[in-house]
Amino acid sequence: MQGSGDKNGVTTMNVQFKKGILEICVLVLLDNKDCYGYELVQKVSDKIEISEGSMYPLLRRLTKEGYFTTYFQESSEGPARKYYRMTDKGRDYLHEQIKEWKDFSNAVNELIEEGVNLE
Amino acid sequence: MNKEQFLKTLEKLLEKLPVAERKDILIDFEEHFTFGIEEGKTEEEISASLGLPEKIAKELLATYHLEKVEKTASTGNIFRAVWAVVGLGFFNLVIVLGPFIALTGIVLGGWAVATAFVLSPILVLVNLGLYPETFAFFDLFFSLMLAGAGIFIAIGMFFATRLFGKGFVRYLQYNVRLVKGGLKHD
Repeated sequence: MQGSGDKNGVTTMNVQFKKGILEICVLVLLDNKDCYGYELVQKVSDKIEISEGSMYPLLRRLTKEGYFTTYFQESSEGPARKYYRMTDKGRDYLHEQIKEWKDFSNAVNELIEEGVNLE
Repeated sequence: MNKEQFLKTLEKLLEKLPVAERKDILIDFEEHFTFGIEEGKTEEEISASLGLPEKIAKELLATYHLEKVEKTASTGNIFRAVWAVVGLGFFNLVIVLGPFIALTGIVLGGWAVATAFVLSPILVLVNLGLYPETFAFFDLFFSLMLAGAGIFIAIGMFFATRLFGKGFVRYLQYNVRLVKGGLKHD
């Protein structure tokens, strides 16, 4: 795909790349504590530029895969909030993902360093 | 787009989902608007940062169709799932549709051969009816042999089709994981 080098392909790759990273971000955030949807979206979008809407399909998918459970909790201000809680399965998955991410980013970093040294 | 327009559009795009699921999704987004407004954002600002409902709906539909195909892999289901995954982006057009067309071609070809073989004695009989003087026992026996081979091919194709179907569903799932889940490469 990279070889084709057309602009369309490149931008699509970036979007998909971001989506994968988004998944890790959500998993990490929920590993620390239960969060409600809006809270998660804000925490991620503070750091990374995303279309916030795509977070909800992601949360649904991960919930369906059994990585999170959800429950509603009343709050003093505003409506009841839908909280997400990580399951053991989700935690295992997170560790797997973190390992893959580290391997991947290490490899890219090495390549970048080699590339920079050559110049 | 204000809140009502956003939710209406999304609801319409998700028409094909079961009512309960659609409601659930819309509640998520309504909640999102409520919290955003509490923080002092306008409805327009919120919907702008959410992104296009079309894009959100596409992702939700892809997940939904794949989930369905996991439960029962009928031809219609597989087709819908392929389209849903292709809808996720240009990248998938190549890596999903390509193998799909190739596999479909192989399966259809196999079935066409099996059918033709099985039906060959009938052709001999038709020939016999039309030109009785050209009848040869060799034709009849040969066509019967072909019919036998055809039956075996058909049985083989039956299993091959099932296997291809299942394999392809797995490939689709892998794909969605690749597209949405990022860096998984097993």
